[in-house]
Amino acid sequence: MLLNPWSLALTLCSLVVLMLGAVAGKTAARVLRFWEPGSDTNRQIRLENEIWLSSTLVAYGLGFQIITLILFVLAADQFCQVIVGAMCATGALLANPYGMPALMVKLFGVFFYGFWILLHQLDIRSEHYPLVRIKYLALLLVLPMLVLDVSLQTLYIAGIKPDIITSCCAVVFGETTGTTTNLLTTGYSQQGLLVVFIGSIVGLMAMGWGLLRRWQAGLAGLYAAGWLWYFGLSLVVIINVISSYVYAMPYHKCPFCLLKPEYHYFGFALYGALIPATFFGASAAMAGLVRGKTGLSGVVDYYQRFAVKLSLMLLLIFSGLSFYHYLKYLITGGEG
Amino acid sequence: MLIELSGVSKIYNQGRANEVRALTNIDLVVEQGSMVCLKGPSGSGKSTLLAIIGCIFPPTSGRAAIADRQLARLPDRFLTLHRRETIGFIFQRFNVLPELTVLDNITLPLLPLGVPPKERKERAQQLMARFGISHRAEFPAGQISGGELQRVAIARALINNQPIILADEPTAHLDTVLSWEFMEIMQQLQAAGKTIVIASHDPLVFEHPAVERTVTIKDGRLHAS
Amino acid sequence: MALKNIEKQLNILDYALSSLWRRRAKSFSILLVFAAIIFLLASFQMVTQSLSDKAKQVLAYTPEITLQKMSAGRQEAIPLAYREQLAGIFGIRRVVPRIWGYYFDEVRLANYTVMGMELENMPEGARLDASLANGKMPGPEARGWVFVGHSIKEALNLDERYTFSLFRPDLTLKAFTVSGEFSRDTDILTNDLIVMNLADARDLYGIPAGLVTDFCVYVANPKEIDTIAKKISTALPSVRVLTRPQIQKTYQVVFGWRSGFGSICLLAALAAFVILAWDKASGLSPEERREIAILKVLGWETSDILATRFWESLIVSGLACILGMTAAYIHVVYFAASLFRPVLMGWSVLRPDLHLLPRMAAGDILLILAFTVIPYLAATVIPAWRSATVPADSALGG
Repeated sequence: MLLNPWSLALTLCSLVVLMLGAVAGKTAARVLRFWEPGSDTNRQIRLENEIWLSSTLVAYGLGFQIITLILFVLAADQFCQVIVGAMCATGALLANPYGMPALMVKLFGVFFYGFWILLHQLDIRSEHYPLVRIKYLALLLVLPMLVLDVSLQTLYIAGIKPDIITSCCAVVFGETTGTTTNLLTTGYSQQGLLVVFIGSIVGLMAMGWGLLRRWQAGLAGLYAAGWLWYFGLSLVVIINVISSYVYAMPYHKCPFCLLKPEYHYFGFALYGALIPATFFGASAAMAGLVRGKTGLSGVVDYYQRFAVKLSLMLLLIFSGLSFYHYLKYLITGGEG
Repeated sequence: MLIELSGVSKIYNQGRANEVRALTNIDLVVEQGSMVCLKGPSGSGKSTLLAIIGCIFPPTSGRAAIADRQLARLPDRFLTLHRRETIGFIFQRFNVLPELTVLDNITLPLLPLGVPPKERKERAQQLMARFGISHRAEFPAGQISGGELQRVAIARALINNQPIILADEPTAHLDTVLSWEFMEIMQQLQAAGKTIVIASHDPLVFEHPAVERTVTIKDGRLHAS
Repeated sequence: MALKNIEKQLNILDYALSSLWRRRAKSFSILLVFAAIIFLLASFQMVTQSLSDKAKQVLAYTPEITLQKMSAGRQEAIPLAYREQLAGIFGIRRVVPRIWGYYFDEVRLANYTVMGMELENMPEGARLDASLANGKMPGPEARGWVFVGHSIKEALNLDERYTFSLFRPDLTLKAFTVSGEFSRDTDILTNDLIVMNLADARDLYGIPAGLVTDFCVYVANPKEIDTIAKKISTALPSVRVLTRPQIQKTYQVVFGWRSGFGSICLLAALAAFVILAWDKASGLSPEERREIAILKVLGWETSDILATRFWESLIVSGLACILGMTAAYIHVVYFAASLFRPVLMGWSVLRPDLHLLPRMAAGDILLILAFTVIPYLAATVIPAWRSATVPADSALGG
């Protein structure tokens, strides 16, 4: 299935990102090798200029990564039309073992680029550039990640054979735990899941509020961990509860169809709140790790408060969005 | 002391075959509110010295403190951030962007500071009124007279209320009347508390009564006079 | 701080706009070439997409299972007697025999599709007459009556008269009377179609009694299509069993392949453009160098210049996208994609005079963006960085 416009677009984007990554990687290697703070040589002047190149490339990388992530899911949704038995993106992604890992790597990439940009923004706030080494060591990691991303994606696309029988999402995410491949082993009830979900929201709110009143590194760490837990939980809740209320079909449990125009692109709003919220929630504690570096404490403090406030705001939006269809269903009884 | 250089040297292309020693062991102190002229032929290191005072690049060695901030070992980004708060530049030939309007030229330094359009306009209008060029605000800078151009350049150097004005050969392309007028304005600015450094080999400048001190630079070394 | 940053980006955006306007000759030439490329890609995408939508519509009318008899790897007539062997299979709603073939009109040098069916035996909902524009389908008794598609009507000049004749294999003439015309909504399927009674079709093609070209099998529950298909092929091993989902996937693959192939050709054009963009962006004139150096002395950071370049690229590509996609939409909807039709169609010599109506979902727009804007942005980033690192001191002296 390489000769399909969606596959081609994905491949093209990946190659572009890989190229940008290679240039950034070259800069990273040079910076790690030759960086001499305070020196007045031409090489140092050039390296200082190259910092801007690499940060711009990573910023572009982030933008492109977000686009390819969406593109990948939408492509899977197109592929399902040619795979017997797959009725939506879930089925298409499970058509071979590379689909889900490729998606995960892409999602991880978004966070990774985000953290790198945060690191960069903190770094350039101090005239000593204290994070140069960490920053460029991390940038070197981008290359293997990109290669992994491209390989998984290519393997996935090449492995799509239009005749493989796949399970559609009703089976995949469904409650009938039988012989079929299940992404989520659902041994819990919707009600229980919702209680945990609401509990987590309340917990995060309380921790965030506590942090804003008085900053404690331990609590910040807990807050970050809480966000990671909440991110996973939200995905489970979206699959098991929210999606079927959006689709108004009890057996259609798919986290991807939400992105389609039939559902008013609801998924973009939902994930558009959840992913940044998780990023900011988790990054507050991450930023705390480099607080001790010269000239960073003020900036880090400022960022941490900002990130916590932003994550709480996004959490509110996300919770509102998640419960909107559910409550609507409860109130109208599914008629509306 | 607004400008304090001690033992400043600048070497271009250090450690290479084409190494050039532009400044050697410069000591210079300029008090706040004074006007100093740097005199010297082209190639004497005058422009390099001006660039160091103007926070365009750091010295290779020595200490350079501009408005209480050490420049040595400062990365380019922080030089820029410091420069835009402290230094107003007046270039040789004034270096306006000819296709932009007078107003847009004057407000250029405010764009990266995030000053909103309305405030930009107000600040520029005040300065234009002060220098009598308000009627030219919407004219492309390439279409106004030399005297007006000079005032646009001065207004641009003042727009962010920087304490130091640096002028690089400002009268090189002006007739006597305009050169005189330029020095008059500089004198007014000095009276208003600005510190002014002018690089020039024009006698009209260094013999002007407002110039308190002239330092001569030759082969990268200072000779006080 | 965040607000100041937004204000700053707005200022820089403002400057980028004025800077594009100052170099309008260069900006517009890039914009036009880029828009033309996007136009080609987007038209292509819209055509394939609306064609595959059409194909889906068409398939809605095909029976769930089609049976054809194969002999020596080729299709041949299937005996009506085979029907009895299907009677025992549970889940089959109805089996309708059909004669389906082409008729080459030597006078007008055109190919017509002829379909003879026991229309009255077709189950509700699967009948072609759902799409009738006007008139009545020929009933079992109505010998010699036909139902035609739009271009048949045109080709045979049937505006005034209602009768025409076609040749039998032995060159005797058979007369037909038009009883109705298909709606143009189903043109892709019905444009070159003549529908008639089974007996008439047998007469026209000279097919002996007891034989038809294929069977249409309708099932009660669409979920059982595969099971029933398997049972049929066990019962009638010499018969080829085609199921609707299978045909559907095949169409999808073919359309996907066609548009993929087309995209590759267009990618070559895109590559040429990217090289052009790189070239235009990297050629830094002395005036531009001077401008950047002045801005830097006046307190612009390297990243501010980079942001200016980014906004410029984004404005150019955004405008090019809007222009190119709008033009493509007009091209496809109002000019029926006249540039691409020879590549994408060819069902029959009589080209269906299609009305294509592409639906542009966010995903399709994103796909086109991925093909165009991303390579453009990537091609301009390194030249942008080069220009942003012009040293500030080059504005001094001289």
